[in-house]
Amino acid sequence: MKQITIPVEGMSCAACVARVERALKNTPGVTGAVVNLVTGKAGVEYDPEQVSVEKLAETIRALGYRVPTAEIHLTVRGMSCAACVARVERTVAALPGVLQAAVSLPAESARITFYPGAVTPGRIKEEIRRLGYEASEKAAGQEALDREREARRAEIRRQARNMLIAWPLAILVMLGMFRNVWIFPHLVPEFFSNTLFLWALTTPVVLVAGGQFFVHSFNGLRRGATDMNLLYATGIGAAYLIATINTLWPEAGFGGKGATFFESAALLTAFIVLGRYLEALTRGRTSEAIRKLINLQPKTARVIREEREVEIAADEVVPGDVVLVRPGESIPVDGKVIEGHSAVDESMITGESIPVEKKPGDEVIGATINRTGSFKFEATRVGRDTALARIIRLVEDAQATKAPVQKLADFVAGHFIAGVHVLALIVFLFWFFYGYHAFFRPDGHFILSPYSLAEVGVFGFSLLLSVTTLVISCPCALGLATPSAMMAGTGKGAENGILFKGADAVETAAALQVIVFDKTGTITRGEPSLTDVIPAPGFEREELLKLAAAAEKNSEHPLGDAVVRGAEAAGLTPGEAEDFEAVPGHGIKARAHGRAILLGNRRLMEKEGVPFEALLPRAESLEQDGKTAMLAAVDGRAAGVIAVADTLKENVPQAIVRLKKMGLRVILITGDNRRTAEAIARQAGIDRVLAEVLPQDKAEEVRKLQNEGLRVAMVGDGINDAPALAAADVGMAIGTGTDVAKETGEVILIKADLRDVVTAIEVARATMRKVRQNLVWAFIYNSLGIPVAAGIFYPFTGLLVSPELAAFFMAMSSVSVTLNTLLLKRFVPSFQKRPGEPREGAGRPVPDPATQ
Amino acid sequence: MTDPARLSALVYTAISLAAAALFLLAAYAAGVAYPPVARFGGAVWVFILSMIITMPIIIPYLNKRQRR
Repeated sequence: MKQITIPVEGMSCAACVARVERALKNTPGVTGAVVNLVTGKAGVEYDPEQVSVEKLAETIRALGYRVPTAEIHLTVRGMSCAACVARVERTVAALPGVLQAAVSLPAESARITFYPGAVTPGRIKEEIRRLGYEASEKAAGQEALDREREARRAEIRRQARNMLIAWPLAILVMLGMFRNVWIFPHLVPEFFSNTLFLWALTTPVVLVAGGQFFVHSFNGLRRGATDMNLLYATGIGAAYLIATINTLWPEAGFGGKGATFFESAALLTAFIVLGRYLEALTRGRTSEAIRKLINLQPKTARVIREEREVEIAADEVVPGDVVLVRPGESIPVDGKVIEGHSAVDESMITGESIPVEKKPGDEVIGATINRTGSFKFEATRVGRDTALARIIRLVEDAQATKAPVQKLADFVAGHFIAGVHVLALIVFLFWFFYGYHAFFRPDGHFILSPYSLAEVGVFGFSLLLSVTTLVISCPCALGLATPSAMMAGTGKGAENGILFKGADAVETAAALQVIVFDKTGTITRGEPSLTDVIPAPGFEREELLKLAAAAEKNSEHPLGDAVVRGAEAAGLTPGEAEDFEAVPGHGIKARAHGRAILLGNRRLMEKEGVPFEALLPRAESLEQDGKTAMLAAVDGRAAGVIAVADTLKENVPQAIVRLKKMGLRVILITGDNRRTAEAIARQAGIDRVLAEVLPQDKAEEVRKLQNEGLRVAMVGDGINDAPALAAADVGMAIGTGTDVAKETGEVILIKADLRDVVTAIEVARATMRKVRQNLVWAFIYNSLGIPVAAGIFYPFTGLLVSPELAAFFMAMSSVSVTLNTLLLKRFVPSFQKRPGEPREGAGRPVPDPATQ
Repeated sequence: MTDPARLSALVYTAISLAAAALFLLAAYAAGVAYPPVARFGGAVWVFILSMIITMPIIIPYLNKRQRR
């Protein structure tokens, strides 16, 4: 029986308490339940074999109460392979009260979701430490950066020290072992070949430089867990033990002084330590994106307090503080400009290369750089709430999650170690009982080595092959293949203003077949703009527009606003209107510049007795294009047609063309009428339109596409898009859109530029390409290496892979996987913007990329 | 014996000893004159590998059983 405390929220009275208690007690496997209303906790005694904590929580939730969950992010150090990851995950997930545990090897992090009260962070950390790893709560910002850098440096220093011990001694051992071959008798002193001397050189290599493998594998075995350290420990240990016995007790019968494998033990250790050193050097580089982001955070801020300018630490700025920024300085926190003008370089956050003009009322993002003028702004979001802090959290979260393909690799790698030992046993038994007698050749030797195997007996021979199989089978490349590529991919996305919320989003985005775009606010600007001004005979275009704008000046209607903005954009000054009158459902009437102006629909013209038939063909043509046509009359005469419409955002057609080239089907979905939707789709280059779809039906349309077997992405920005974003395989939320959309989407496009949809898919595809390459490489390495190491070619060639060569191959497989991943840094999206290209959205509200 | 750690140790050591004994038996019965060191060295190696293989299987299995 176990006792657990589960937090319960939403209970308001003793009846609630009784209800929860009764429900819990009625759950099979529960022997007792006591609920406390004041503390909001339920103490349950249960049988873990009959009922899980999750089931108990479900029971409480089914009654309408909440069972809150908490999440902790831990830094876990000391893991070396996928088997370690599997060990930590398995152990933590087995703790009662833990819902989920996701461990990332390259990020050295663990994200654990648990029921607070049922289990504590301290208990979780303790359990991880018991496995032999260091566990501490992940620090934020600069502190995390410092700690991570220090830990990385310490690991590099430790492995460098091991290298300094292992390599010089191993080379001396090798010289000693081959002293009697080639030109070495003339170069190497005779005492080098003395086995006692070699033993003295090898011992520190194995016990000091290689000691880490014995300690780690012993810690693991004590708790019934294995990792790749065990493979090394068995390999090195076996070679060293036999060599020691043959040196100190040559008559013991293990092959005598002719079968001392000192160079095997020493070089095996040296190569494994080299692998560890290179891994420590390269592993941190895949998380460079986060480091770059953290480094962007300014350290100080100049604020106005008590009417004085004071410099304080950036993390001491509070919302409401007035912050002063001078040219060339970084903006310390997010805020709204209240005084001054400037151009701000936001490239580090949005990827935009052109500085954005800022004036009072515009928002500024912390960590961006003020380029030209000085300005003051009011701090609105500070600390963990700034856009940058939230971007960092999103990227970190994404890197801590696992893609489905990674889970498979981890499972395989986690079960590999036991499999490899079984294989080593089979190899040993085969060569001992059959292989040696059937195939042994006195001229046999190791590949790339003059070392003869003539003197090795049946036991030594079988043992060598068994040890080599152990060493070559290490699944470390397999364990690194997916997470390292995912880290580099999500980092690459962040560099380009694309935030993937998880590794699964990257994997799904790479396999998309259909992209569904919401219309308003996503494809279009979401507000009407002036598109056409067609004057009737006897009127000038500018005259018509100026009069219409003057009449609309006092209008609050969005169409009128579009006309005024259009006139201003054309350099006209509308002037003031007199006698303004809005005619509901018809249009407006006003006097401006001494003339009577009417602007509205057909019914307004009919009502006012204006002959407008001559204008109808043009008006109908504009309406066919999905525009709203307004008829204008001046002094009782038809004066022309003015059209406004929601217009396409910049770069939409290019994005659609590129998506189609990438083999994706593009669909437009909107609640608008079919005519307007088709007109917009035509301009954008989209062939398929789903028009007149109610917000609640958008998700249904997405599901219909999924039912056809298609993998669908939905791109949207509004609250009404949230269900469709959730229903889609990948929801892509526009960063300038609503918080709801961003919370729902798995991918956030920080800018309002639809070319980033293309970039997101390109980054995802490039990442998955790397994952596949890495996995193929790791699998090929293991599937080819194992039979070769087990001696498959020996009967025909007399050649064997030595344990040290196996160690070299193993180290190279890990390094090559990491280096292959690092090539992703060179990936350039097809729409990489060039300087001077017009930018969209300058001076608009700053995108809020964060979702949490 | 209720302590799962001791019980596990007993089980995996017994299995590994049995595997090593089987190896010895096979080495005698194979009809090849193996030197004693090969026989006993081989048995030790089989014992070590068997321990490594069985420990991570037996320990969690018995821990799980004990939790029931």
